[in-house]
Amino acid sequence: MIGYFRRNPALLGVLSLIVLLTVIGCLFSKDFRSVQNFQNVFEQSAPLAFTALGQTVVIITRGIDLSIDAQIALLSSLASGIVDSDAQRAIPVVLGVLALGVIIGLITGGLIVALRIHALIVTLGMAAILQGLALLYTLTPVGGIPDGYDFFGYGRVLGVPVGMALAVVLFAIVGFVLTYTRLGRQIYAFGGDPRAATMAGLPTTRVILFTYCLMGLLTAVTAVFLVSRLGVGNPVADGGFNLGSITAVVIGGTMLTGGRGSVLGTLLGVFMVQLLNNLLNFLDVSTFYQWMIQGAIVIVAVSLYVERRRTRA
Amino acid sequence: MRSSAAFREKGSRVIRVTGVSKSFPGVRALVDVSFEVRSGEVHALLGENGSGKSTLTKIIGGLHQPDEGEIVFDGRPVRWKRPRDAQESGIHVIYQELVMFQDMTVAENVFISNQPTTKFGLVDYKTMEARAAEALRQLGSDVDVRRMVKTLSVAEQQMVEIAKALVGTVKALILDEPTAVIAGREVEFLFNRIRMLSERGVAIVYISHRLEEIFEIADRVTVLKDGRLVGTRDIGDVDRDRLVSMMVGRDLSEYFPPRRPLREDSPIVLEASNISVGDRVKDASLVLRKSEIVGLAGMVGSGRTEFAMAIFGGIPMSSGSVTVGGKTYDRMSSALSIRSGVGLLTENRKSEGLMTQMDIAANICAASLGEITGGLFLDARRELGIAREEMNVFRVAAPGPQTRVIGLSGGNQQKVLFARWVHACKEVLLLDEPTRGVDIGAKAEIYRLIRRLADEGLAILMISSELLEVIGMSDRTLVMRDGRIRGELRGDEINEQSIMALATHR
Repeated sequence: MIGYFRRNPALLGVLSLIVLLTVIGCLFSKDFRSVQNFQNVFEQSAPLAFTALGQTVVIITRGIDLSIDAQIALLSSLASGIVDSDAQRAIPVVLGVLALGVIIGLITGGLIVALRIHALIVTLGMAAILQGLALLYTLTPVGGIPDGYDFFGYGRVLGVPVGMALAVVLFAIVGFVLTYTRLGRQIYAFGGDPRAATMAGLPTTRVILFTYCLMGLLTAVTAVFLVSRLGVGNPVADGGFNLGSITAVVIGGTMLTGGRGSVLGTLLGVFMVQLLNNLLNFLDVSTFYQWMIQGAIVIVAVSLYVERRRTRA
Repeated sequence: MRSSAAFREKGSRVIRVTGVSKSFPGVRALVDVSFEVRSGEVHALLGENGSGKSTLTKIIGGLHQPDEGEIVFDGRPVRWKRPRDAQESGIHVIYQELVMFQDMTVAENVFISNQPTTKFGLVDYKTMEARAAEALRQLGSDVDVRRMVKTLSVAEQQMVEIAKALVGTVKALILDEPTAVIAGREVEFLFNRIRMLSERGVAIVYISHRLEEIFEIADRVTVLKDGRLVGTRDIGDVDRDRLVSMMVGRDLSEYFPPRRPLREDSPIVLEASNISVGDRVKDASLVLRKSEIVGLAGMVGSGRTEFAMAIFGGIPMSSGSVTVGGKTYDRMSSALSIRSGVGLLTENRKSEGLMTQMDIAANICAASLGEITGGLFLDARRELGIAREEMNVFRVAAPGPQTRVIGLSGGNQQKVLFARWVHACKEVLLLDEPTRGVDIGAKAEIYRLIRRLADEGLAILMISSELLEVIGMSDRTLVMRDGRIRGELRGDEINEQSIMALATHR
């Protein structure tokens, strides 16, 4: 824990922002300060949490994934379309969708390694391809989920929302891997200095493939969660997860320049983003303004963390 | 100095390289080079920049693969595909640009490619930190292994690099110009560690172009020039002059143009007074006279580049002033400098000098756009005319002014930059490492060019890390250390010992 703070001073910043938002919310909105509302914010954080977790690891290695929304459109449509409310198909289809997510990640990572193209371009291209595939499959929301399968989206275990409980567990696992395994050290090393990582003899290809596979898997988990929650997959839904996940990651102190960052920061970043949107909802600020505010936050957050060149003193 | 008799007692061959050649697009970096190093030996690898030392090192370290030739390690032929293969065999290369992860701790860096793990397969931080601390202790360093590497000095980082080798098997240690970035007592400390390791039987390859160091530390020396082997000698069989002529391939008197007597009455064309730049340059002053070449020596990081950049206006000075053309400025800008006739050839030709994708003409005229603008538009014919003329004057070898500069050799690229600045600026030329990445033949040509420009009236400030160059070229030499000018040398005072004494505070 102390290590986290030492590596990531931004944690204090995001914590104080959360406190600030909470105080403002409690002062200005009666509905905001209910216990029920905080539970809702927590529950609604799950999909953003899954995607932001993947994005954290990707960004630590100096990459980025802009294909999240398109991948969710495709995977969620496939999931609800194929299951089509048939309980017997649910489990195999969920497993299939998760596997497909990993395969998409493998393709993305493979292209980045093999073609030496920047992740920005590869994932932007993948986004168009995946979105196209989703629309080829269906133009409108299709199929549905069998009874009882909204448990993932709405269920509670001992009062804790299932989705968010899973998210927290996944955050803990990924955080553990980053800190206590060789793979984790290799991820930070590659992000810190890819050339030096090669010279140090680290398996750089494996590192990149792993990060995008993890990203793909977590995106698939998000798709399954959203289907469970909404009852149907939507090929044209834009959940704003590309921007949302990057916002949460940079607010949490992970550097776009790679090599530095933590999943704890991202988790706090996710809460901050959700809290902000929630508060803006209660204050009757329209969605359009919310987008604008979130866009501005990303830009400001990145500019705050940019390391100024010393020679320009 | 060690005797050659001592050398004959050294151990078995650890690495033998036979007939190795390596080409990169446009460059033959190594041609049929053979080289060997024995256990317990300190073998110096000597040569000017661009002589192929680094390429040879990278081939031995597994970073590059040779096009031809054979590498034999411990009696067996090997073909390393990646640095890891060499490391696992016990060959560790400490590159000039250290392979350090700044945002990780010392211990994490020491074990970057082979972390110890617990029985559950998790990284064992306790063992890692203990073993890293032990390795550093053997090196006589008491750096806290939990510190972030970015908080360490360069000398401390070097010890961390060596510790990396010590925690695994180490049969050969290759140090690529380790003293380019450290000074004084740090150098002595490093040499003691090197001696300790060689006494343990480690084969050491020591790369440098500082002759003084080589006589201090090496048992044998191999000299490369333009990618070819000149020869290998026992250190006792050569002297300084012999090594220099091996390095440059001719007598020094032919290499550098003759020096003129210094003329004190020559008018001052530029005066920099009490310039500071943050904490990089502190209260530095100089005067440049017409027709004079002033050398600016000092270690990498001593503030030389920042000082020149501040004079030129490339970076803002925090205090001080520049007087040029009869006016004094306390804020300088590059546009103002060029208008006053002051040009700067930057150290990084490719990133800060040339527009590599554009043609020669555009590069030559880049600082003289006013001259080639007729009304609103550039006068392409005039641009080509100027370029043709200057290509003649500076003897740029290229098909024509519309050749893109990216395909030119380092020497020709540098001549294009000279042409640009001399065409635009007729008073002062600031040169930052003017012969970096240029082969020996082109170097001699650039030296003659610099001398000719001075004879024609330019005042020249020449920053250089190559002592030979500073000694051979400058009429006066200023030496910087830690951001300050530490002294001025003239005439016979300009020699290796006196420069190093000022540069390193030994």
